[in-house]
Amino acid sequence: MNARGQVIFKDIWKKHGEFVALKDVSFEINPGEFFALLGPSGSGKSTTLRILAGLDAPTSGRVLIDGNDVTGVDAADRDVAMVFQSYALYPHMTVAENISFPLEMAKVPKSEIAAAVFDAARKVKIEHLLDRRPGQLSGGQQQRCALARAIVRKARLFLLDEPLSNLDAKLRLETRVELKKLQRSLDVTAVYVTHDQEEAMTLADRMAVFMAGEIQQIGTPAEVFAKPNSIDIAGFIGNPPMNLVNAKYSDGDIILGGQRFKTAVQITGSRDVIAGIRPSAIRIGADGLKSRVDLVEHLGDTAVLDLDIGGALMRVRVGDENVPKEGDTVSISARPQDFHLFDPETRKRLV
Amino acid sequence: MKRLRMVVLFAITAVFLLAWAFPILWSVLNSFKTDRDALAYPPKLLFEPTLDAYRDVLFGSGSIIPNLVSSMIISVGTTIVTMALAIPAAYALARLRFYGKKFTGFYMLATQMLPPVGIIIPYYMVLRNIGWIDTYQGIILIYLSFSLPFAIWLLVSYFEDIPYEMEEAAYLDGASRMRTLWRIIIPQVRGGIAVTVVFVFLNAWNEFLFAVVLSGNTVRPVTIAMFNFVSVEQTLWAKLAAVSVLAMLPVVILGIVAQKHIVKGLTVGAVKGGGRR
Amino acid sequence: MLAGENTMTAGPAEIASSDFGRVLVQRERRFATLLLAPAFFALLLTTTFPLLFLVYTSVYRINLSMPFMNGFVGLENYKVLLADDRFWHSLIVSLVYTISTVLLQIVIGLALALFVMNMKRGQGWFRIIAILPVVLSPAVVGMIWRTFMLAPEFGIVDYLAITAGLGSKNWLGDPSLAMVSVIVIHTWQWTPFAFMVLLASLASLPEDIYEAARIDRASAWQRFRRITLPLLRPAIVMVIIMRTMVALTAFAAIFTVTGGGPGTATEILNLYAYRKSFTELSIGYGSALAVALLIVTIIISAILFAIRRSK
Repeated sequence: MNARGQVIFKDIWKKHGEFVALKDVSFEINPGEFFALLGPSGSGKSTTLRILAGLDAPTSGRVLIDGNDVTGVDAADRDVAMVFQSYALYPHMTVAENISFPLEMAKVPKSEIAAAVFDAARKVKIEHLLDRRPGQLSGGQQQRCALARAIVRKARLFLLDEPLSNLDAKLRLETRVELKKLQRSLDVTAVYVTHDQEEAMTLADRMAVFMAGEIQQIGTPAEVFAKPNSIDIAGFIGNPPMNLVNAKYSDGDIILGGQRFKTAVQITGSRDVIAGIRPSAIRIGADGLKSRVDLVEHLGDTAVLDLDIGGALMRVRVGDENVPKEGDTVSISARPQDFHLFDPETRKRLV
Repeated sequence: MKRLRMVVLFAITAVFLLAWAFPILWSVLNSFKTDRDALAYPPKLLFEPTLDAYRDVLFGSGSIIPNLVSSMIISVGTTIVTMALAIPAAYALARLRFYGKKFTGFYMLATQMLPPVGIIIPYYMVLRNIGWIDTYQGIILIYLSFSLPFAIWLLVSYFEDIPYEMEEAAYLDGASRMRTLWRIIIPQVRGGIAVTVVFVFLNAWNEFLFAVVLSGNTVRPVTIAMFNFVSVEQTLWAKLAAVSVLAMLPVVILGIVAQKHIVKGLTVGAVKGGGRR
Repeated sequence: MLAGENTMTAGPAEIASSDFGRVLVQRERRFATLLLAPAFFALLLTTTFPLLFLVYTSVYRINLSMPFMNGFVGLENYKVLLADDRFWHSLIVSLVYTISTVLLQIVIGLALALFVMNMKRGQGWFRIIAILPVVLSPAVVGMIWRTFMLAPEFGIVDYLAITAGLGSKNWLGDPSLAMVSVIVIHTWQWTPFAFMVLLASLASLPEDIYEAARIDRASAWQRFRRITLPLLRPAIVMVIIMRTMVALTAFAAIFTVTGGGPGTATEILNLYAYRKSFTELSIGYGSALAVALLIVTIIISAILFAIRRSK
């Protein structure tokens, strides 16, 4: 059982002059967890990782690792390892020298280094490349070398800053799976920064979604997908993202394009809302809201339809059988529990 | 018509190449002549080559070997001291954030506006008082006035090419700032350091004004000793040619070695300075 | 804030997070200071201190051959300087020397660069040959020209002049020929520099804009005037600035070839300051001349940088 690698971020603010990069960020990561920091670029997720690593200092707030306050502790003394987006391999050293560098800095006896280096290299399957230099490796091999350099130290925390973004699409999918297996087998806490929601969904045990310097939601990928906290998250997660349209709510129903739909939401009175429906939750059937098919995108086993409902765009994901044609008119509906309602003012979810 | 064009183009090419190569080639040729052949009129292109002139200037009386050694001590000494000071300074200017960085960078460029004669006059007065005229420490110190800003600016351009993440990775790996600089950064700018060394050496070898003022019996570089072979009464043609060739040899070799970097080496500072001003 | 205050008063666990930020900044600053200080002091010592001392000596009479006459004279040296015909003459020689050598370098260098750029074979020869003059010591270059090229009868140039029926000339003994000679020598040594820089920036110009211009039916001359020249302008201005600074303080080649003579025919201001100080040992007045040269340098570079900024 691994009890190492618990992280607590408490009320962290980061300001650069007037600009607020992080606004009161707090979260907890459990030992052994694969935790993703997800968000668009500039949302503060990388800053959060850098503060956790000790490369940047927060303006206020505290960082605790395994119960110890490390807010004022140097990066070198935090016992955390990191994989950089560019890998940051030392180009003048061989793969073996790269991997052994952190051990050497930690004054590990020479006799133990060779075995540890080989062991780390074997775990990421580059033990046959130890004599090469980074310049002689492919992108995927470089990425593995960076991983090996991070895992060789057996640090309590494993930080990954968009480690897959420099790989081509196919390799990215393969490496993603291996990364997850590696994390499980090492039983180490991993903090993973990414802007790719699919990566976060597949890899993470839990994730924190960043928007404009704030954490908007923390939860398992399934929770965040099922119950997005705000319009922004709803529009960010899922591919294609959730449809968001203006609607009216009254007594458990919503009125959308003149049509009434039942929802699972119970609030009193009637009001304006923004209704969200996932493209995959929309049913095409005999009755419902009539709308015209503007565009059909065939994706192989599925297709995405662009529907025009009274001037607003709605996207629908359908199976590859009986796909309507462009120009057809279809009737759409959704189950009550598939409607997500949001407040147009606060942009938050209505429960 | 096309043929005529070819001939004209070829002729222009030949004339220009000859114009630039000839003075050097002619010195080389003369260095293999006897004094008689060198003085022949009309000038001799064909002659029986001999190493007499080299033998005389190297091993005869008034050998210039001590002068070559002197040039070498000045140039190597200047290069070592310059690099020792310039590498850390260039790293700081290229990488670190600190108050007054802009000013420091500008200051180092602005010092280059000073005419060397304006530096050597006061410097001579001071060295005279402390007895450092005709000493290596005196001349190497003053050579820093031009070699140091040059080396710093050239090195900055190489340091700037290294990604920040490289350093951060090293910090996370547990290396201190000094160790990171020494183990991670400096090895990566080896190429840039080599180029800088070549140019600093070259500039020190070629310097003349400071050398004229500060030289004496101890410090007597070959560019100064060369004057022993010309006087109002007579010029020792072949020997002078041999000395010239010996003085040119190191820098020509270095120049050709550093061929690819020569434009960068010659224009550094100007590009930078213009951009920041 | 005092250096080290934070680390002294608080252990890492207790210090406020904002202080850690300050510690990081401070540590970086301290490291920068440590790395920069030696070079900075070396430059203070070898450039700034001499400059201040130069200004100081320029208001003294300091004559090494007559030390008993030394003393503070105020602006006397500068008053003498303004009335000194030799100073004004040297200033004019400086300007003629600088303007003519820089112009020649640019024109020949640019023409050669354009010519070589279009060569299909043999570019390598030019690149190698061009390196030779610029890496040589100007003193050695001066010596070679003074003897093997320009010496009456023995020098190749003089031999060619005789063969061409012009007769033997005293290339370095005649005042105007001597001026021409030192200009030619400087141009010979430094045109390859302009050539290499301009060739490098020509080579970096994108090929497709020329193809586009050709399709737009621009003639070769129009392509040069309307495309090449404007795109090369920054490089040309940079070369002009660099070469002007060097020409203003040229020393070794003139010193070796003519020593400023005959008389003062090739005595540029730089050389005058040197001769006054180290030949005539009049350090105080020499300092004033050097200050004048500094002022001239600053004025000219201000003009050149203004040109560079414009447009």
